[in-house]
Amino acid sequence: MAHFEPTSDLSLSQRIFRGLLRALPADFRANFGHEMEGVFAEQKREVETRGGALDFLKLWWETFLGIFRTAPREHWDILKQDCAYAARMLASSPGFAITAVLTLALGIGANTAIFSVVHSVLLRPLPYHDGQQLIFIRQQAQKVGIADIQFSAPEVNDYREQNRTLAGLVEYHGMSFTLFGHGEPERVSTGVVSANYFDMYGVKPLLGRTFEPADERTGAPPVLVLSYEYWKNNFGADAGIIGKTFELNDKVHTVIGVLPPVPQYPDENNVYMPTSACPFRSSPKMSENRDMRMMEVFGRLKPGVTLPQARADLATIAERLKSEYPKSYPQSIGYGATASPLQDELTRAAKPTLLVLLVAAAFVLLIACANVANLTLARMARRERELAVRTALGAGRSRLLRQLLTESFLLAFLAGVLGLAIAYGSLELLTQFAARLTPRAREIHIDAGVLLFTLGAALGTSIVFGTISALFARANLVSGLKEGSAGAGAGRSRNRMRSALIISQIAFSFMLLIGAGLMLRSLAKMQQVNPGFVPQRVLAMKITYNWAKYAGVEQYALAAKKLLARVEQEPGVLSAAVSSGYPLEPELISAGPESNFATFRVEGRLLQPGEAPPTTSTAAASPGYFRTLGIPLMVGREFADTDDHNALNVAIINQTMQRRLWPNENPLGKRVSYDDGKTWTTIVGVVGDVREFGLDRPPISETYVPVAQAGGMSTLILRTAADPEAIARRMREVVHEADAQTAITHEMTVEQAREESLVSPRLTATLLGLFAALALLIAAAGIGGIMALAVSQRVREIGIRMALGARPADVLRMVLGHGLVLTFLGVAIGAAGALALTRVAKSFLFEVTPTDPLTFTGVALVLLASALLASFLPARRAASIDPIVALRNE
Amino acid sequence: MTRNKNVEAFLPMTPAMFHVLIALADGEKHGYAILKEVARRTEDKVRLSAGTLYGNLARLESSGLIVESDARPAIGLDDERRRYYRLTDFGREVAVAEAERMDAALSQARAKKLFRKTRLA
Repeated sequence: MAHFEPTSDLSLSQRIFRGLLRALPADFRANFGHEMEGVFAEQKREVETRGGALDFLKLWWETFLGIFRTAPREHWDILKQDCAYAARMLASSPGFAITAVLTLALGIGANTAIFSVVHSVLLRPLPYHDGQQLIFIRQQAQKVGIADIQFSAPEVNDYREQNRTLAGLVEYHGMSFTLFGHGEPERVSTGVVSANYFDMYGVKPLLGRTFEPADERTGAPPVLVLSYEYWKNNFGADAGIIGKTFELNDKVHTVIGVLPPVPQYPDENNVYMPTSACPFRSSPKMSENRDMRMMEVFGRLKPGVTLPQARADLATIAERLKSEYPKSYPQSIGYGATASPLQDELTRAAKPTLLVLLVAAAFVLLIACANVANLTLARMARRERELAVRTALGAGRSRLLRQLLTESFLLAFLAGVLGLAIAYGSLELLTQFAARLTPRAREIHIDAGVLLFTLGAALGTSIVFGTISALFARANLVSGLKEGSAGAGAGRSRNRMRSALIISQIAFSFMLLIGAGLMLRSLAKMQQVNPGFVPQRVLAMKITYNWAKYAGVEQYALAAKKLLARVEQEPGVLSAAVSSGYPLEPELISAGPESNFATFRVEGRLLQPGEAPPTTSTAAASPGYFRTLGIPLMVGREFADTDDHNALNVAIINQTMQRRLWPNENPLGKRVSYDDGKTWTTIVGVVGDVREFGLDRPPISETYVPVAQAGGMSTLILRTAADPEAIARRMREVVHEADAQTAITHEMTVEQAREESLVSPRLTATLLGLFAALALLIAAAGIGGIMALAVSQRVREIGIRMALGARPADVLRMVLGHGLVLTFLGVAIGAAGALALTRVAKSFLFEVTPTDPLTFTGVALVLLASALLASFLPARRAASIDPIVALRNE
Repeated sequence: MTRNKNVEAFLPMTPAMFHVLIALADGEKHGYAILKEVARRTEDKVRLSAGTLYGNLARLESSGLIVESDARPAIGLDDERRRYYRLTDFGREVAVAEAERMDAALSQARAKKLFRKTRLA
């Protein structure tokens, strides 16, 4: 082929022309480039002699057009040829094609599935108008370690009126109300919100209207907005729902609108009502008392205002409140206010888990890539002669490489299609999983972004494994023909590459297995942990009384007594109690211990200036509570029927609280005050620690007060002689016999609640385990494959060894040893990687260190055993080689 | 595989491709000569650029309508990087078939008195 002049000697136009030629396929360029330059040079000379700037421009324009018309056609032709050729090649080795496509499809499928969740939940903007401007506002008491305090009505007003950075500030609190007139009384979860709540989010109603300022005025006719799901599921998407009325507690409410399907935060509610319609929120006790905090507050940043500016603004207001109301905000608690983006708030729980899963899925894909690269390399060894012959017949080297890349892309594309199907099939399961982590789970779907990701993954995959194989093809194209056989010398570097690929597969598999192993270990620990109570055969029913009928604590206490008397008469009920909740109650877990935090004073102890007051989580319980749940009484007494509103206020604390406040003293008889000394409560007993808020959360200070003194009964708990679920139906009847207007929200055995609390970590562990198992399978298949290839390449060598006296056992050992060495190297690298990731792993683990020796040893053994197993077949084949046959065949 | 069928596959041709074949009808030529000849014969109406010319040459060559010629003019008269192309028998057949196709179309136009007076094509 003619040689090109060095670029530096060329004129500018020649250089430009040569640049244009690069748009053409390399082969075409090699064939005609030189001539084309010649033709162009003559054309140019001609134009120059004829003169005319216009002719000159015309020449350039036509040249430019000509090349860019020709280039796509030429590329397309080559692509068609290559695809047809690749399809023929793949069809001729279906085993390879199917293995490669399946392996890659699993990798791409896992990634697509997880990415569709990540994309919908973490990456896409909130489905509200200008969602990035929405913020969640919280008060904090940093010195007592409370990061999230709710707001009282006066506080909401203060922040709303005094801020300069927000275009809107709304309040929210969730209530359970009882709905009458539709068969059994039904509890409806209700969001009580400011009038401009939906306007601030930019949520337009699907039907009717949302709230207006007039709806929030005192004495306005009560109105309701239904959530999309509630409307669809309970009213069959009745288009005529607007104007219908519902009796909630003591008032008749009119439906004025239905929401579109949007994520609801912090709770998924059935209905919404304005603050004035909520009997609690509108009572003077709530609306005027600065210390009655029950509201969440959300805001929208004014256009152009940044989050730090809004935070500074809120902090200023907090400082002002602190100096204005020193009693409500004592210096010692470190009061302040801050804000965070709503999007972060909605995805806080989901983010770490999803990212870990995404990384795990990426590992699987990498392993799949390495495996397919290895398969391709093995195939290249067999195709060496074909490629060499094609080179000899004039196929340019780049042309061959291009063809190999087309082949790998065809594989990856097929895998991508299959992977998409896998992702699509697993989406529902993943959505259910994600729903436990974020209210955005409903938005999960496969859209153009996800398709693009899949295409990118397929393309990236083909580039990764295609380049690996193509690079080695490039190095060996010439030697293949020269040596004329699956050459020893050329093969050596490729064998080294294959070993490196296997080692990396093992290393990544090891890391995944460690991750899964640690998660499983921590899950096992969570299952074994003593929850502090006996969960078996306990039924918990969430009940809501018709608030309107019971004005004070006394009446509640009476109702509770009446109910318990009836319940305890039922056959099969061993003991019963009412309480504010029960351990591991799903809503308690999601709300966290902070939801019931209280600060208090211990009688006779003065706080040092700047010292934070003690805090405790509080719960209300009737006398039988501890007995029913099997919570051990350590000292003192349980609650008695006599502990009512006429008697001395009493409390029972847990051991953690005792250790914290009276480590060396008898706490019985000590007095604490929750209202700065106005009333005092005497401690009468100490019970064992209970893991109320999650098996993985260490017990915190806890105070129980009698239902008869504090009210707050919303749960009926019973211990039964036999299966508690069998008795549940009868219990509903009993509850309604005691008071027909009691709504039963849900019932669940405490054992179920305990299981439920493990679902999310179990799913994470299962998904990680699945990925790890997949990785192990692929890696083991890879080891098996490479050993088989090594044996088939070394038949002659093995034959000679055996002819020289090596016994089959020696050969077996040699091959197995080779596999083990690769595995050891992979394990060592994987272990280093796993150790580097301990910081990430730590936050996911419970009572297991990220360097848990048992897990590391176990995983290493599993990998070694798999490697041994995988290399055993090829090793046995090597050991059974007949030296005479082997040598004769060569 | 019948030749006729193969010929049909190339019809109708793009003007550029047809003119390249015509240019080679009276003997082998190198690329630039083809380009000049086509421009001359069509009074600059069909102007080939380097890209289109070689795109067409590549196509014609790979389909066997033309081949690279071994014969070269005497040294000194020639630029060594020039390659010469020659019409193959098959290429001639295709060119004839295309010309006949155009001729037939022309006859029909004439029969319908599309032209006011007869002109030579």
